[in-house]
Amino acid sequence: MQRSELLEKFKAAASEIAEKEFDDLQEDSVIVDLGLDSLVVLEVIGELEQAFDVRIPDDKLVGIQTVSQLLDIIEEQL
Amino acid sequence: MPSDQFREKLHREFLDFFDNAEQNRRWNPLRDIPWERVNPETPESLALCAETFLGVEGFLPDYISGGLQVFRNASVAQRWFVANWGYEELKHSMALQLYLIRSGKRTEEQMADYQAELMKERWEPPFSTARRITIYGVFQEMATFVIYLRQEKAAKKVGDEALAAVYRMNARDEVAHARFYELVVRAYLEEDRDNTIADIAYVAANFKMPGVGIVPDYDARIAVMRDAGQIDRDLFLQKIYLPTLRRLGVERSEITRVISEQRKAERAARRSAEMMSRAEPAE
Repeated sequence: MQRSELLEKFKAAASEIAEKEFDDLQEDSVIVDLGLDSLVVLEVIGELEQAFDVRIPDDKLVGIQTVSQLLDIIEEQL
Repeated sequence: MPSDQFREKLHREFLDFFDNAEQNRRWNPLRDIPWERVNPETPESLALCAETFLGVEGFLPDYISGGLQVFRNASVAQRWFVANWGYEELKHSMALQLYLIRSGKRTEEQMADYQAELMKERWEPPFSTARRITIYGVFQEMATFVIYLRQEKAAKKVGDEALAAVYRMNARDEVAHARFYELVVRAYLEEDRDNTIADIAYVAANFKMPGVGIVPDYDARIAVMRDAGQIDRDLFLQKIYLPTLRRLGVERSEITRVISEQRKAERAARRSAEMMSRAEPAE
């Protein structure tokens, strides 16, 4: 899967869950600046895990600051 | 309605909890804190944190009355637990207030004014069922435990052995409460896993610490803790939410699936209400 495709999936899931558009979202966007709290991020991750049929270990979920870091973790599991 | 088996199980668990508390965990804020080892030079930021926690603990009358109402018809063990919990939590307020006065950080008059200010607000139970309040109790007590441990460390760092002991004693009670609530949630899961999972998801999605909106200047006080590195964004996730799910034997995916379903249902209900209101003829 292309990285850009992964980013689009993230955007779509975040928009659906947070009920807002993330047109300016980039890989280097800081998650907290997007107004997503940690439980919403968990839900987004849950959606992506389901979509890609992967399971991210809990210890990898802590300390994620940017969208890029999150995509790296998902990519590792693909 | 919980089964007799559920109530009997909780009764046994409560007796064990109480026995352990009586044998190993009883303490007296007047005698068991090394008050002679207060450090008058402790920074004001730590005193402000102590005052904030005193504020949160200060709504004890509301927590007890709310808890007793919610658990009144749940089980004997849960009613008894609330009564015992109230006694133990009372000591947390006492210890924090004694510290603030004995360290010279606050006067008795300032404390009286603060307590009066607190009672202008009222804490309302954030959830209305025994099961949801129990789940809330797990998260809330664990969060308080983790924050008190961090405060203990900060107090030790500035050589304030009295303040460190206050937090150590308080934290020991908080984790004991969290563990009892966990036992109860496990019993709820055994009784009715699907609905308990749904309640865990609901409580997690709507979780707020009890002082929010009722302790004076709460946001500014929390900002002080955040700046001092006492709390951070990952704290809830790393130290409370994920470990609690693991101990309960609940998969994260089970919760996120339910949160997603609950969100979709809420959205559909909202849309339907909006459509209904648009369809009504204007008068």
